[in-house]
Amino acid sequence: MFAFSPPRPSLSPELLATLRPVSLAKSRTLPLGEPWRALVPGAGLRRGSTVVVEAPVGLGGLSLALSLLSEASTQGHWAAVVGVDDPGVLAMAELGVDLRRVLFVPRPRGAWAESAADLLDGVDLLLVRPPSRAAHGAARRLMDRVRERGTVLVVLSEPRGPWPLPADLFFSVTQAEWVASSRLDARYLTVRVSGRGEAVHGGEHVVVVPNRHGRAEAR
Amino acid sequence: MERLLALWIESLATEQPDGSTTRDTLALLDALSELCPFSEAVRLGLFVLPVRGPSRFFGGLDAVVRVVRQCVLDVVGAEPSLGVAEGLFCAELAAHEKVVVPLGASDAFRRSQPLSVLGRKDLATTCSRLGLHTLGAFADLETARVAERFNKHALTLHAVARGELSELEGQRDLRLARRLAQLRGEEDLFEEQGGFFGQRGDGDDRADAAAHRVRRRLGADAIVVANLRGGRGPEDRATLVPWGSPPVSVRDLAPWPGQLGAPSPATTLVHPVPLQLRDGANRPVVMSARGSLSAEPTAVIFSSPLRREIIWYAGPWPLVERWWSRHRRRAHVQMVLASGEALLVVAESSRWWLVGIYD
Repeated sequence: MFAFSPPRPSLSPELLATLRPVSLAKSRTLPLGEPWRALVPGAGLRRGSTVVVEAPVGLGGLSLALSLLSEASTQGHWAAVVGVDDPGVLAMAELGVDLRRVLFVPRPRGAWAESAADLLDGVDLLLVRPPSRAAHGAARRLMDRVRERGTVLVVLSEPRGPWPLPADLFFSVTQAEWVASSRLDARYLTVRVSGRGEAVHGGEHVVVVPNRHGRAEAR
Repeated sequence: MERLLALWIESLATEQPDGSTTRDTLALLDALSELCPFSEAVRLGLFVLPVRGPSRFFGGLDAVVRVVRQCVLDVVGAEPSLGVAEGLFCAELAAHEKVVVPLGASDAFRRSQPLSVLGRKDLATTCSRLGLHTLGAFADLETARVAERFNKHALTLHAVARGELSELEGQRDLRLARRLAQLRGEEDLFEEQGGFFGQRGDGDDRADAAAHRVRRRLGADAIVVANLRGGRGPEDRATLVPWGSPPVSVRDLAPWPGQLGAPSPATTLVHPVPLQLRDGANRPVVMSARGSLSAEPTAVIFSSPLRREIIWYAGPWPLVERWWSRHRRRAHVQMVLASGEALLVVAESSRWWLVGIYD
């Protein structure tokens, strides 16, 4: 009986221009920038979720993980970076991260999980590079607290020392290729995106991180 | 903890009604910054600068001490008390005693100090009744016992005594940097760069509280924030400063001509790693005074027997710049290795250093 679309009320163009789609989920996600918006359901990072970025050493994992912070930080969200011992803050600025709202704990020594937990209440995004192999229990506790607090946890790991638990969203760098002229211009990363629950636009994508302005973009 | 040279200048420690103290402080800070860009006015009368870099440049610690002393004499006309030790707390004590604490001896130096150096009479009195007269004896108390017997404030002092915190609360005057910036007429820039000191929201307070928690757990130097400054390479422009320390002056923020452009390496090594470049015949590649390479580099060798093939390189981009001096000659080279990693290396005279990884 209702299998037809009811006629839409006609609205004035001025009014139409001010409307925006209903987005209840908005406050429950943190915004993502290009090129990730098109590859992730809801075009954002769901609060309380865990994102794992896995890449072989030196093949762009850190740049990719940092690029996930940029849009949210630009929009006023705080982020913390734990266990990245010598962060290139200039590269972060180029990626679009607002450095005024980033706390760094470069060398948490043995206490990476504790430091991460200390920061959870204070930031919306938490990027963690655990030392070698993270213990199952510590990972579990951290993910539970992240879910409870509504923070987004971004874990940077290597295939040799994978994060011991399944992630809500998983980025795996399978290939990195530099394009160079008289200097390094851009890096093409082949990234496999997968996840659980909602429909992730899975499969392999080639993205540019960084491009010649230091930003991340779609190919 | 960072090894610091502390300068105590008695005549600058008390504010004069005519404002000359702040003016002299600014003049001295500017002069010291010419010698070492990381010089800092901690509070009136107390200045510090890290000694690692300058020692290498000026040819040893004694040379740095001599240069700094002369600088103070020239600018302020007063004899400074100088001291070197690890961490702000020890460095200030060393300055008052006019000693250089040898590398690795800061712990023993701190432990031998009387309790009065913590600046809390009540604590010193109570401890001396318990038979504790030195920081070492106080440090050896179990943290739980200190928590039982004293208030929360004493726990921070205990952490300082144990060397877990590198500075006393109140040792820094956080408003001094702002006053100096005002004097320079830089207030607006300061606000923008400060972030932490500008307009505050709810999120800022939450972040502050979180930073405090980490600081209590790991010490004052463990939590840092970014500070962008001028300089030609990413390793010069990007600095991390302890959270809560005053922002560095932003005079140099304008892009420098000849600065290495984007993209910048995602990892910028605070302590560059020495390496060698080899040519096809396995001879070391050196940079000439005119800034050209002796041969095409084909392999990079780290100090371990680790050897990697170079598949592409660009540069050198030689730079004569004013950093420690007006005549520091360096050159950047970018390279991609067969494994897919990209590196940024710097040639400084005949030596090569890894300064960045595009990871």
